[in-house]
Amino acid sequence: MNPGRRLVVFGGALLAIVVLYLGLVREGPGFAALWQWCASWFGGAPLDPVDEFLLANVRVPRVVVAAFGGASLALAGAVMQATFRNPLASPDLVGTSAGAALGGALAIVSGAVALGVVAVPAVSLATALLVTGLVFVLARSHGRFSVATLLLAGIALNTLVGALTSFVVTFSFSNYTASSTVLFWLMGGLEARTWEHAAITAGGFVLFGLMVVPRRAELDVLTLHDDTAHSLGVDAPRVRRWLVLCACGLTAATVSNTGGIAFVGLVVPHLARLLVGPSHRVLLPASALLGAVLMVASDLACRLSPPEANLRLGVVTAFFGAPYFLFLLARHRRGEAL
Amino acid sequence: MSTLAATDLYVRLGSREVLRSTSLTLPRGRLVLLAGRNGAGKSTLLRTMIGAQPADRGLVLLENKAIVAWPDRERAQRIAFVPQQVDVPFEFTGRQLIAMGRYPHSGRHEEPTEADGEAIARAIAAVDAAAFVDRAVPTLSGGEMRRIAVARALATEAPFLLLDEPTANLDLEHALQLVALLRRLATNGAGVLVASHDLNLLAPHCDHVALLHEGRVYSEGPPQQVLWPGNVQAVFGVQSRSASGFFPRDFRL
Repeated sequence: MNPGRRLVVFGGALLAIVVLYLGLVREGPGFAALWQWCASWFGGAPLDPVDEFLLANVRVPRVVVAAFGGASLALAGAVMQATFRNPLASPDLVGTSAGAALGGALAIVSGAVALGVVAVPAVSLATALLVTGLVFVLARSHGRFSVATLLLAGIALNTLVGALTSFVVTFSFSNYTASSTVLFWLMGGLEARTWEHAAITAGGFVLFGLMVVPRRAELDVLTLHDDTAHSLGVDAPRVRRWLVLCACGLTAATVSNTGGIAFVGLVVPHLARLLVGPSHRVLLPASALLGAVLMVASDLACRLSPPEANLRLGVVTAFFGAPYFLFLLARHRRGEAL
Repeated sequence: MSTLAATDLYVRLGSREVLRSTSLTLPRGRLVLLAGRNGAGKSTLLRTMIGAQPADRGLVLLENKAIVAWPDRERAQRIAFVPQQVDVPFEFTGRQLIAMGRYPHSGRHEEPTEADGEAIARAIAAVDAAAFVDRAVPTLSGGEMRRIAVARALATEAPFLLLDEPTANLDLEHALQLVALLRRLATNGAGVLVASHDLNLLAPHCDHVALLHEGRVYSEGPPQQVLWPGNVQAVFGVQSRSASGFFPRDFRL
């Protein structure tokens, strides 16, 4: 199957999982209500107002946040892996997610969240940029990023920023509501997402995605060494700065609305590369679609799990991500590229 | 005449001054060999001449215009480069890597044209890569990757071609084929500058040799004038014997 057809299949899979998400329930309006709601737009009988409210103002914004959030994280991962020339780069590794989480935690405990729905994303973006910028500066050695320097700088900054985030939580223990909100938020979850959250997540994806997509040919060239990229007419440092800014924006717009979501940014671009190849012309849309599918499916698993399990979205994505790493390890042992 | 010229270059990397008052001119239609010990500054000179390494002092002129004044893509349409490091961390096929050589022409948005396809096909044929061009990177040998890198540079169809150790990892047959290709390109009007330690292979085919020593051009001119035992002793620290007044042989420490 050629890559273009695979994109159509991924799009179909996303549509199917979204429909499943909206209709599969433990309680509340199911497929029959969903069908009736859709029919009511075309002159059919109106749906029960409570069911309509639940679908239109609870479930749909939540699935929008899940789909655009997954797409954003996967797109950010694909961009970072190309710009750092490193298949292990991701918003998790280079500190973007940790920075965004610190900003979100600060915004919540400081009460900035009361200033408006954009407060958490704005502070998250600022801290994500700051931490990623620091990793960027620390990992650079003689103008290049090696696996070793990137891992060391990423681990160092992730540890430091994680500790700062923990400190923010423990420091605010006296404010039980704020600290418990941060703790739950850090584990990742999509409860009580509203249309404002959906608008920010989708808006971040559209805004920063539109900045990334025209650079797809440059992303291919950036996977070569900087001197080669330069000789082909790509100013690698300038383009890299711009693309990392976009990846930070994609990550911050998502993490500020979903909390910590592990592995999506790292694993999904790998999976997409296996299915459609490394050319960013196809890899970017494939990563976005697969990221959306994975995130919606993971949140569906959370929603369908027993309430007493209190399954968090970040935990489910980690369950998907960790075995995939072992699969990559097995491939690497067979002599294939990561 | 169309040239790529470095004039009085000074380049410092960290605390080390790598190039000191280095000048070198590459006219079109010439095959120039840049030789010297490890660390003499050959790669730095190439990187400075393509504009990737800023010079602390001095000037690189491409067609009488400062290299830094050229728009990126226009410069890339005129100078192609084959670096020492040719590894790629993702599983592109050889053909996809060669197609990246058309980026200076197609840019961000345009779909590949018929001209792009023809340039890629010519580049593949030139380095005899048809047998492996559709294989992915992890399955390619070091020599095959180098031939892919040369093909990518050829696909740009630039009139100036700079190559850093292009014969490294190549078997004898393909090294000889590459030298013949570079000779042919120069004869057909390209300016070709090759940094290499492979004096025996390249010197007999070059129009001009520049010996780089401690960041300066120690000697330059036709191979017969430059590669005589005295210069070889001074630059490489080895003794040699000259056969019929030409290329040194019987190297001894």
